[in-house]
Amino acid sequence: MSLSQVFAIGVEGLFYPFQNHTDIAYAVIMDIRLPRAIIGALVGGALAVSGTAFQGLFKNPLVSSGILGVSSGAGFGAALGILLFHRVSATYPLALFFGMFAVFLSYMIGRIYQKTPAIMLVLGGVIVSSVFSALISLVKYVADPYEQLPAIVFWLMGSLAGAQLEDLSIAGPPIILGALGLYLVRFRINVLSMGDKEAHTLGAHMGLTKALVIVCATLATAGAVSVSGVIGWVGLIIPHIGRMVVGNDNRILIPVSFSMGASFLLLIDIASRVLTGSEIPIGILTALFGAPFFVYLLKKTKGRGW
Amino acid sequence: MALINVKNISFSYGARIIFSQISFCVEPGQVYCLLGPNGCGKTTLLDCVLGFLTPDEGQILIRGKDSALCRSGWLSKSMSYVPQNHEGTFPYTVFDMVLMGRAAHIPFFSSPSPDDKDISWEAIEQVGLTEMAMRPYTLLSGGERQLVLIARALAQQAPVIIMDEPTAHLDFKHEFIVLETIMNLVRTRGLALVISTHFPNQAYYFESHQIPTTVAMLHKGRFIHSGPPDQVLTKDGIRTLYGIDSTIVSFDNNGAPLKHVIPVKTLDSEGERP
Repeated sequence: MSLSQVFAIGVEGLFYPFQNHTDIAYAVIMDIRLPRAIIGALVGGALAVSGTAFQGLFKNPLVSSGILGVSSGAGFGAALGILLFHRVSATYPLALFFGMFAVFLSYMIGRIYQKTPAIMLVLGGVIVSSVFSALISLVKYVADPYEQLPAIVFWLMGSLAGAQLEDLSIAGPPIILGALGLYLVRFRINVLSMGDKEAHTLGAHMGLTKALVIVCATLATAGAVSVSGVIGWVGLIIPHIGRMVVGNDNRILIPVSFSMGASFLLLIDIASRVLTGSEIPIGILTALFGAPFFVYLLKKTKGRGW
Repeated sequence: MALINVKNISFSYGARIIFSQISFCVEPGQVYCLLGPNGCGKTTLLDCVLGFLTPDEGQILIRGKDSALCRSGWLSKSMSYVPQNHEGTFPYTVFDMVLMGRAAHIPFFSSPSPDDKDISWEAIEQVGLTEMAMRPYTLLSGGERQLVLIARALAQQAPVIIMDEPTAHLDFKHEFIVLETIMNLVRTRGLALVISTHFPNQAYYFESHQIPTTVAMLHKGRFIHSGPPDQVLTKDGIRTLYGIDSTIVSFDNNGAPLKHVIPVKTLDSEGERP
């Protein structure tokens, strides 16, 4: 199938979406490949942009989008969904809910000190993550080892294989809302990265900004994780790759991270489909491909401002 | 109206009293030097003034408004802050660092406007870093970094700058460059300055440039002396504060007398050393 045919089908789908299409090629492109590509791009962008925001917020370049427990929480929600309802579709809302619930718990732990210092939030995230990891193990332990357990394990590895157009309605709104929110406060993330005290003296509404960044990054990550499972690495490394290319200013870095994360996950997803006969879970490939690429960039840009 | 009016504030961490019943005023164009040994509570006192910590008792008026009740935007437009040193996690460029000084003036969901950028450039020029503006902040020397933080404070356009030991980690030359820059800013812009320092001679330096200077000695949680350098930085004052025998010399610096504290000997018997 040539590129021009794909293009023609795309145009057809765009202008006559409600006609009855019987063409197999049309079905493959519009119902399988395109939704998967869109979801993949959104997921990659969401993970990368929230990783960037969290690294700025906690002024710690080793922090990733899962730092406040969203991944473990979502993982538990999905595992619970598989255990209780035996259906993958039940996992989305539960993953979304528990992902956000985990971050809420971390935030409340961080609030034990009145001013919510960054270090307490990180600690809260560590505590909550470990609790949800234990709960995931518990669910795995009681799950049916022939059907449910493999489903849970595969979900936790992360995959876009099941991505359908309907998933967009679950994952799309939180991801777009979260990413848009982070885009709007991107200058404030610079200020937050100065640390609590300097951010306070530099100006205006630090508590509000912090809460807003956490809410937006969590929405985006939870939306992503709920459809794709746990995909590591993107939320940690893409922000750094972004910094190497465009510098540290979050005014530029935030949009660049989103687009880089989206492109990276699209490429990895294609690789995961074509490399071997059966599909490799994408969470495995992100690290296997990302790590050497990162080392290459480190070597190439050493000492230049990053 | 005083820019800062601190009335009888006290602060303690749990049962440990850091200071109690502290009062002072800072007027426009004035330099207020806070002296005291390490751990005496200078930083805590400044944190209270900045609104970062809340005193247990007493009241702080910032440009006439009760600091506990003002919005943080008001505080940031009234006071800027230069920390002792800033550990940069991310290597922002000098310009990006200075631009953050505009945060309080920018609507919440917006990014800096061209005006904000102009103001930042001007601030960078004032501290003489124009040529380094696009270099990563983290690659500068300690003294240059301190100048960047001062430029950031200038971009904030607040009438008071609060500095916490701004020259603590600097070499001989850069300490003086920073001091000279600060002195020029106070003189040309009429800023008020609250500065905590370990160097009594800095107060004499400001005084010798005809800047109204007040020195306060924070010792065991109280101001033991405060007033013009002449009256506070005496042999007795230095002895009580630091437990050091000293002599005060004065020499003619092109017509302007410049005084200097010269430490001579530590005193053991007093038990005053921390």
